Amino acid sequence: MRRLAAALLLLAVLGGVLGTQVGIRADLAEFLPPGRSPASAFLFRELQSGAATTLLLAGIEGAEPAELARVSRETAAGLRASGRFDFVGDGTTTLGEAEQALLFRYRYLLSPETRPGAFTAAALRPKLEALLEGLRTAASPLLARVGFADPTGAFLGLARAFVAESRLETRDGAWFATEGPPRALLIARARSGAGLDAEAQGEAVATFRAAFAAAKPGPARLLLSGPGVFASEAAAAIRADIRLITLASAGLLAAFLLWRYRSLLLLGLVAVPLAAGTIAGFAMTALVSNGAVQGIALGFGMTMLGVTVDYPLLLASLRRPEEALRDAARRIWPTLRLAAASAALGLAAMLGSGFPGLVQLGVFAGTGLLAAAATTRWVLPWLLPGARIAARPLPRPIRAALGALRGRRGLAGGVMLGAAVLLLALGGPAWQRDLAALSPVPRAAQALDGELRRQLGAPDVRVLFALGPGTEAEVLAASERLAEAAAPLLGHALQGIDLPSRYLPAEATQRARQAALPAPETAQAALAEAMAGLPFRPSAFAPFLAAIAESHGLPPLTATALAAGAPTLAARLSPLLSRRGEAVQGVALAQGVADPAALADLARRLDDPKILFIDVKAETEGLLDAYGRATLLWALAGGVLVLGLLGLGLGSPWRALRVAGPIGGALLVTLAVLTLLGEALTLFHLASLLLLAGLAIDYSLFLAGDATDDTMGAILNCATSTLLTFGLLAFCGTPVLHGIGLTVSIGVASAFLLACALAPKIPAHA
Amino acid sequence: MRRGFLLLSLLALAAPARAEDPALVRLMQGFAAQPRSEARFTEEKAIPELDLPLPSEGMLRWQAPDRLEKHTTSPIEEVLRVEGGRLLYERPDRGIRREFSLEDQPEMRALVEAVRGTLAGNLASLQRHYEIGFTPEDSAGPWRMVLTPLSVRLRAAVQRILVSGRGAQVRSIDTEGGGGVTRMQITP
Repeated sequence: MRRLAAALLLLAVLGGVLGTQVGIRADLAEFLPPGRSPASAFLFRELQSGAATTLLLAGIEGAEPAELARVSRETAAGLRASGRFDFVGDGTTTLGEAEQALLFRYRYLLSPETRPGAFTAAALRPKLEALLEGLRTAASPLLARVGFADPTGAFLGLARAFVAESRLETRDGAWFATEGPPRALLIARARSGAGLDAEAQGEAVATFRAAFAAAKPGPARLLLSGPGVFASEAAAAIRADIRLITLASAGLLAAFLLWRYRSLLLLGLVAVPLAAGTIAGFAMTALVSNGAVQGIALGFGMTMLGVTVDYPLLLASLRRPEEALRDAARRIWPTLRLAAASAALGLAAMLGSGFPGLVQLGVFAGTGLLAAAATTRWVLPWLLPGARIAARPLPRPIRAALGALRGRRGLAGGVMLGAAVLLLALGGPAWQRDLAALSPVPRAAQALDGELRRQLGAPDVRVLFALGPGTEAEVLAASERLAEAAAPLLGHALQGIDLPSRYLPAEATQRARQAALPAPETAQAALAEAMAGLPFRPSAFAPFLAAIAESHGLPPLTATALAAGAPTLAARLSPLLSRRGEAVQGVALAQGVADPAALADLARRLDDPKILFIDVKAETEGLLDAYGRATLLWALAGGVLVLGLLGLGLGSPWRALRVAGPIGGALLVTLAVLTLLGEALTLFHLASLLLLAGLAIDYSLFLAGDATDDTMGAILNCATSTLLTFGLLAFCGTPVLHGIGLTVSIGVASAFLLACALAPKIPAHA
Repeated sequence: MRRGFLLLSLLALAAPARAEDPALVRLMQGFAAQPRSEARFTEEKAIPELDLPLPSEGMLRWQAPDRLEKHTTSPIEEVLRVEGGRLLYERPDRGIRREFSLEDQPEMRALVEAVRGTLAGNLASLQRHYEIGFTPEDSAGPWRMVLTPLSVRLRAAVQRILVSGRGAQVRSIDTEGGGGVTRMQITP
């Protein structure tokens, strides 16, 4: 008794120390592989730390449009005043006066219309005629303001190009979604050079919420999304979810065990191997991964180690009356040892997957299983030398049902055959190829993110090009080469492409445009000739001539100068052009892609070392396929190894096969049921299947040995405990947790029933 | 009760600062009583850089509460329609149809709010956007309203708008901006 309390205390302290000493990584990106090709490497770097991580998308709804607009405007003003954001986009976002002035000044260096021959009399004449016609139309006030300084329309062309794609509706200075119930929209980019860590993301999210609250929203609700929200709030929500489920399942489990064993001591007994396994697994994972344990691996690993409650339960239940716990442990050890070793060996498949998160999970669960088994064998008997815990006999109907099931090999064979046929008929299990399904972010949050992105016209990255790395001039030049090559595809293979050179031409291009501008006297002569016979006063275009003269001497515009003079435009440019140390990296985002193959082909034809084509979907799917295949192969290899180990341990390949029967059957049934339910398998389902195989080994080994009512009762207790632990997970909103819960629950139930049916018949109850 | 009384007396105190001209208020009520109207217009733009004025003509249509259409028939057919905060521009001969936010077009906005506010008889809206100088010569006779945009941004584009009429009818609108004047004559 005292030893047990001391052991529990020691474990709690050990766990606490480990928890504070080892850092836990929280983001999904680090859980993912580093990427095998340059394309996937770039992709994952962007996911982890790219400018995309700084984006916050918001919708405000639940009030009258005028009120929503007010709240939106005031929230935006608060965000701008906070100084934490590089860019805040809402209905009040237009090019400011100063920005317009900068654009106006640089119009002949920025405009693609500046070409040799664009300023001859022949080229100017139609422009002047068009201006005259424009002055007769409703556009005359605007043209009267800018047209005489810019008769070629360079400035208006630029301004139109920069604001053209805002497909949003502006009402009362707020953006509104064009579909659905009234919803004001905002977009903000948190201040930072590149990506943000989780803490800074959390601060940006908190600032956003504070600005919204300060706008006195009344009944209006804020819907906030973006990587920052996922990292901070969604993760917290998931943790709360897990905590609730853990508490609920622990309560259920405790109640069940108390009912079956009528002993509080047993609860302590069960807790010791579980805690020891978790701590050993955690320590080993921290050691293997240099102290960077993935939060996801830890969470799921701990969930998986829930199965180790089987070991103390088996020990307590299989103890014969009047047998000491120590003797019981010694007696069942060969079987227990074989079961734990086989299960751990099966998990080794995860080590070969090459998926960092799964490797950690494998190390964690494997070490934990072995440690829990060892604790059960050597520590528990020492902790409670005189324990006299025994399970109550099973209620009569259950015992009768199990007795009837025993030895029904035909039934078991039929079920397995049926599952195999069903699986074949369904075309085999469906493999999940969408990275989002692996994300710990709940589906509702993912759906909201997609909706806000669509409404705001924010790029939902499907296809992109990586530009560079190199100097700013090199990256912008690469961007221009890509723009030229992609132009013929616009309108059919893709709808649009957002390039850094769209906002800032390369330095060489700006210099070439300067060179294309005529000398002042030439320009004046050409203009005079073009004006002949038109009703313009002689001095009307003096500002135009002055601007041409000034443009000759302007220093080319750089990203730094753009950031200083035109923050709105710089904010559009910054996600497409980022500085990484000395080098500059560019991104071009393709929109409305109908034919990714044409773009891949384009990149191949260009064969440009600074332009890399990335089909995000294909790339992640390919990665997941590759890792899935690797894991599957390793799982098969693990299966063969386990079979070999069983053969060695049981001394006969025939007996090994008989033990393996229920395991294979449970896997088949589980796969068939999952496929029938329309579940697409992810890596986590695979990991759960491996775990399930480990559990089934316990059941099968013990029942194959001696299938008395007592053994069956003990195994039923184990199976029910596992069901109580994992069954609740199946109701989780988080896709991964749901997948694990469902897989293990179906598997445990079928493994238990199959193991019973395949157990040898005993002539009469002794 | 007491709070309501306090509010009333505060309003009463605030009222003189706004100097509501009773003749102006009556005129606005007259406009508010006409939910729709239609009239012909002729327009002449004088731009300092041009030797000669640019004439045009067409139809004006108003539908309460906020829909205003200017349909130019000559020399170029085009339609400019404002509804709420949206601006629709159509030019059938070129198949052009563009939609803008009124917010982004200061020149247009300055004019639209003046015409719309007058036709709707919405004095509060006019006062929100302009400083108003009103000179009635007779309660039912001709009147003149000088509107100066309050917003610096609008005033940079349009310095002054002169609206004149007779009874609840607008007869002419002169817009002064950027050194030029646009005169619009309206015949019901």
